Amino acid sequence: MSDSEEHHFESKADAGASKTYPQQAGTIRKNGYIVIKNRPCKVVEVSTSKTGKHGHAKCHFVAIDIFTGKKLEDIVPSSHNCDVPHVNRTEYQLIDISEDGFVSLLTENGNTKDDLKLPTDDNLLSQIKDGFGEGKDLVVTVMSAMGEEQICALKDVGPK
Amino acid sequence: MQGFPGGAPDPQQLQATMLALEQAWSLIQVHMNPSEAEKVISSLHSSLMPYQTCRFILETSHVPNARFQAAGAIGDAAIREWGILSDDNKKSLIVYCLNYVMEHASSPEGYVQAKVSAMAARLLKRGWVEFLDQEKSAIFFEVEQSIRGIHGPNRQFAAINFLEALVSEFSPGTASAMGLPREFHEQCQWSLEVKFLKDFYCWAQAAVFNTAGSILNENGSIDEAKACSAAFCLMFHILSWNFKHNVEHADSEAKINSGLRSDAINLKKFERSLVKPGSMWSDILISSEHTTWVLNFYTTARQKYSYDPLWSDSSIATSCRQLIVQLCSLAGSVFPNDNGDAHIKHLMHILCAAVLWIEPPDVIASSIRNGASESEFLDGCHALLSIASLTTSSLFDNLLKSIRHYGTINLLSALTSEAVKSFLDNQNEETWVSDALDISLEIWNVILGDFDADKSPMSVDGAIAASNLFKIIVESHLKAAADSAFEDTDHAKYFHVSVSKRDEQLALYAQIARSAADTTIPFLAQLFSERFACLSQTNGENDLTQTLEELYWLLLITSHVLTDSGEGETLLIPEALQAGFPNVVEVAQHPVVTLSWSIMNFSRRCLDPGIRARYFSPRLMEAVVWFLARWIATYLVPLDVSRGHVSRAEFDNADNHGLQHSRKVLNSFAWENNQGELVLDFVVLISMVALTTYQGENELQTLTCQKLLATVVRRKHTCTFIVQLDSWHDLTRAFARGRSLFSLSGRLQRSLAETLACAASCIKDPEASAQYLRDLMGPVAGCLVENASRSDFKSVAQQADVIFMVCCLLERLRGAARATQPHTQKVLFEMGHTVMNSLLTLLEVYKNQSAIINMILRFVVDFVDGQAVFLDANEKSVLVNFCLQLLQIYSSHNIWKVMLSLSSSLRSESQAEKYKDLCALLRLLTNICSKDLVGFLSDSSIEGSQDIGEVIYVGLDIVTPLISLDLLKYPKLSRDYFALVSHLLEVYPEKVANLNKDAFARIIGTRFILSMLQDSDIVERCLTAINALASYHFKERLGGRGGLNSQLMESEGSNGKLQESISSHFLRLMLQLLLFNDFRMELAGSAADAFLPLLLCEHELYQRLVQEFVEKQQNPTVKSRLAMAFHNLTNSNNLSSSLDRPNRRRFRKNLRTFLRDVAGFMQIE
Repeated sequence: MSDSEEHHFESKADAGASKTYPQQAGTIRKNGYIVIKNRPCKVVEVSTSKTGKHGHAKCHFVAIDIFTGKKLEDIVPSSHNCDVPHVNRTEYQLIDISEDGFVSLLTENGNTKDDLKLPTDDNLLSQIKDGFGEGKDLVVTVMSAMGEEQICALKDVGPK
Repeated sequence: MQGFPGGAPDPQQLQATMLALEQAWSLIQVHMNPSEAEKVISSLHSSLMPYQTCRFILETSHVPNARFQAAGAIGDAAIREWGILSDDNKKSLIVYCLNYVMEHASSPEGYVQAKVSAMAARLLKRGWVEFLDQEKSAIFFEVEQSIRGIHGPNRQFAAINFLEALVSEFSPGTASAMGLPREFHEQCQWSLEVKFLKDFYCWAQAAVFNTAGSILNENGSIDEAKACSAAFCLMFHILSWNFKHNVEHADSEAKINSGLRSDAINLKKFERSLVKPGSMWSDILISSEHTTWVLNFYTTARQKYSYDPLWSDSSIATSCRQLIVQLCSLAGSVFPNDNGDAHIKHLMHILCAAVLWIEPPDVIASSIRNGASESEFLDGCHALLSIASLTTSSLFDNLLKSIRHYGTINLLSALTSEAVKSFLDNQNEETWVSDALDISLEIWNVILGDFDADKSPMSVDGAIAASNLFKIIVESHLKAAADSAFEDTDHAKYFHVSVSKRDEQLALYAQIARSAADTTIPFLAQLFSERFACLSQTNGENDLTQTLEELYWLLLITSHVLTDSGEGETLLIPEALQAGFPNVVEVAQHPVVTLSWSIMNFSRRCLDPGIRARYFSPRLMEAVVWFLARWIATYLVPLDVSRGHVSRAEFDNADNHGLQHSRKVLNSFAWENNQGELVLDFVVLISMVALTTYQGENELQTLTCQKLLATVVRRKHTCTFIVQLDSWHDLTRAFARGRSLFSLSGRLQRSLAETLACAASCIKDPEASAQYLRDLMGPVAGCLVENASRSDFKSVAQQADVIFMVCCLLERLRGAARATQPHTQKVLFEMGHTVMNSLLTLLEVYKNQSAIINMILRFVVDFVDGQAVFLDANEKSVLVNFCLQLLQIYSSHNIWKVMLSLSSSLRSESQAEKYKDLCALLRLLTNICSKDLVGFLSDSSIEGSQDIGEVIYVGLDIVTPLISLDLLKYPKLSRDYFALVSHLLEVYPEKVANLNKDAFARIIGTRFILSMLQDSDIVERCLTAINALASYHFKERLGGRGGLNSQLMESEGSNGKLQESISSHFLRLMLQLLLFNDFRMELAGSAADAFLPLLLCEHELYQRLVQEFVEKQQNPTVKSRLAMAFHNLTNSNNLSSSLDRPNRRRFRKNLRTFLRDVAGFMQIE
């Protein structure tokens, strides 16, 4: 058996340029990611059925847009490939909140990143603002996929 | 009324309460402010001495629902305050309720009457032991008078209804709770059965006799009919009683020879059981021709009202039929000891009447399809089932022969085929069709099970009937299959439910087929060969879908006929097939053999890519794989067993020679001429095909991994063969080094890895076995390690393809970990050890990919579970260190983290993921502890090895902050959590003393309070934990040490009150639990165990609390009773101050008495 058959992750570091990756529909599970109507989504329900009793299996996906929260559905033959988005999460230190709802984040190499808005949900917004106001050290997690970015989580790392 | 409880009423007050109640009810009806309204109602139920008020409402209110509530309140209050009511009070309440029902017997609101009746019955039962016999007789005298019809049909109805309520109150299954021990209920049940039940039955009989005449003459009033059907109902209920007081005849030889038996198991499926009232009932049920009278009544009435299609659904007809079906289940010593003659006669009578309800089946079925009532038909089926359960099959068959020229089995066959046909063209999904089919298949099950049991062959007619029925079943199903071939299949969600239901049905069909195996098996073979021919003749132009679907169904039914399902058991070749061919001596002519090989040869064609593409659809492959799995499990008999048959056959006498030979043929044919090896080779090849060429067909691939391969590997004798095959090596090599199997979904990766790893245990040479596992899992572990240590891993890690790959590898590792067995454990530990560091890297890199984190955790859980019991000290410390690191990293990533997301469903998804992680972490800790169970076998005192107890406390300390109080509301998590905590406190209480304060507060602190509100299982665990802790504390103090005192003085002070020791804290908690919450009696034992050590530790505080509590009571009666109860709790039964077993037992007893005394009136609070 030749070595070429051994498993290697095929991706190279520069492959990150591609925003999605093809994966067989039958192997996508609940809680996995999928692209539906060109939107990155998280799968919340998968069911399978057959086209006619002796036809091939197809998968019925119900998924939620990870940025807008909208529900989307798709039916794909299960042997076909679906696009799976590359979903990245990066953590930044929160350094400032501006009046107009933008945040200022500290990147790993010491620069700042100022192009992200706070979440619109009042409850979450107040959590960030209050925490920041109290002088806590906050780390926000930014989720990015298919060219979009959003703050998705918040963590208090400061001394208690 | 004399003796009616409660003081002189204040008319205005009464009026006001009534208005409030009526008002509340009207609000509930229009859904306005229901919680307020419910408060008004429940305040009436829980108020002190509400009897006068309730009486006023019952007598004056025009709102029926207010009267209903008032009746309920009387019952609730009286049960609660029973201890403080005088004897006169009690009796007058019962008499009042009874009189009320009688006086208002004609009231149109039946449910109010029923409620008042039920209350009378409930109170009568509560006082049953206290009341004198003549007091009860006086009450029942009035009731009897009414039932005999002296006061007219309305009162008759009311009295019958009261008795029905009484009977159901006295049956333990339907009794209402009274806060009394089970013995009380049993005593009441026994007393009613012996002294009154038969009288009740006689009165009901009398009531029916009274009214029957006028009903049959069609001049009975509606009220009379109502009373009559109520009387039938009462008789039915009495016969449903679970009779205890009876002596059975010794089973005489003669009775068994008569053909009677009792097999009640199958009745249970339809919530029925045999009726065994005992010889005392013989006179009224059997010798008085009572049954004949009831049957005649029904048959006559049925004729009289034949013009009215609705009659058979009328209440009088249904209740009468119900009684007849119940009479049909009579058994035991109620029949005289006359070799079963009387019983057989009894069954004959019923069959003669009931046969009219079901015969001819085709005519009746078609009239039901055209809208006639089905209830009579179904009751007829039920009667037939009862008869079948009580007779041997030959007697069952003969019963009908005395009135018809055919046997009962013939009738059953006609009935079943009608049910099958209706079932298959049942467009409107009416329930009667499937009910009728269920019952009739169950009857077959009963009679065929009986044939199996005593090995007597079925009569020739019977076999022909069964064979014909099976042909009809197969033909109807094939037609249905062909018709439905083009429909889409169901979504997977409902699929599995319907599959198990379908399999149950097919198994019953198969039983019918096996009873006439000599004709049905060749019939199936012929059907197969027709379809095979049809497939091979077509040249690709015709649409084969219908034939494929027919083949699919044929494969399913044939698997059921040839094999039993028995999950996980060692399967035998069905006895009916072994015994069914005494005349076949040549292997090549045995129908089972030819059928098996013809299916096998057909299946083999799927290996040809061209043919596969033409007609091996995924669905057909599913059936083939499923058939193969079951066939192999049954027919590839272990070699020693199949040889054993050969040797035994030689010793048997010549008479049985043919039969023995045919048994031998069946047990050995599969291994002959290397066929067995060829089949196994084929199994591996077809698995490879199913896994690689049917991309995305999850259903098929699941069957292949979890059914077919698992079956082959699970059996040692097939597994030892299969691991030597070249094809198996190809499969394992493809798994370890190839890419093709990465197209499987994660779950399948796991089960495939598990199966392949399991096979290692069947390689005899330990070295070879270890090498096999290393070859299999080495590359998988290696790949994970190599990639995790790549310098650029961080930058590529988040790409979807890398994530997918990591998931696959983790699933494979987990599958292998689940296959841990004693002699593969070492190699698998090596595998686990190699990946430990990489897993920690992955945990860091994928901290935001919850799916991967969860997979890592679950792998570790399974790994520890498999390994924990085998490890030596070194390995243990490696594993435990790894787990602690894992916990720390997980915790540092997740603590204080808040998910922000626009979509609430995404937020709840992430909550759900957290929850799953925590469940896994708790399971991990529990698994680490599992070594405790066998801990005494190993030497845990080795220097340098870690103490498991300490590790778990540290682990728990890490995990606990992640478990928010909200999460703890999930029962599963909460149960796991408290199971772990109580285990720890029981085994390592001394560690608690050394914990730092924060940790202690965190682990134990407030969580216990919350848990008290949860289900009893969890509360029980908490009580165990408290018991452990308090007992430890007590013993330490007894030994002059500080116990938990010094450490815990300040731990519980957060509620703003004084700071106190943990034992005082728990003491308060216990008192609160016992007195104020709705305490559940089943917990009394464990509560006592936890309470006693606390009480001993904190005696002064206990006295003070009790004092305070008693002082607070307003009502002097309550106060004195409470003080008394508390006094008895600690002073009766020679309670001493030690924690030995006898003392604990005494305290348990005391606490039970205490709770019973106090429970009632404490709920007033």
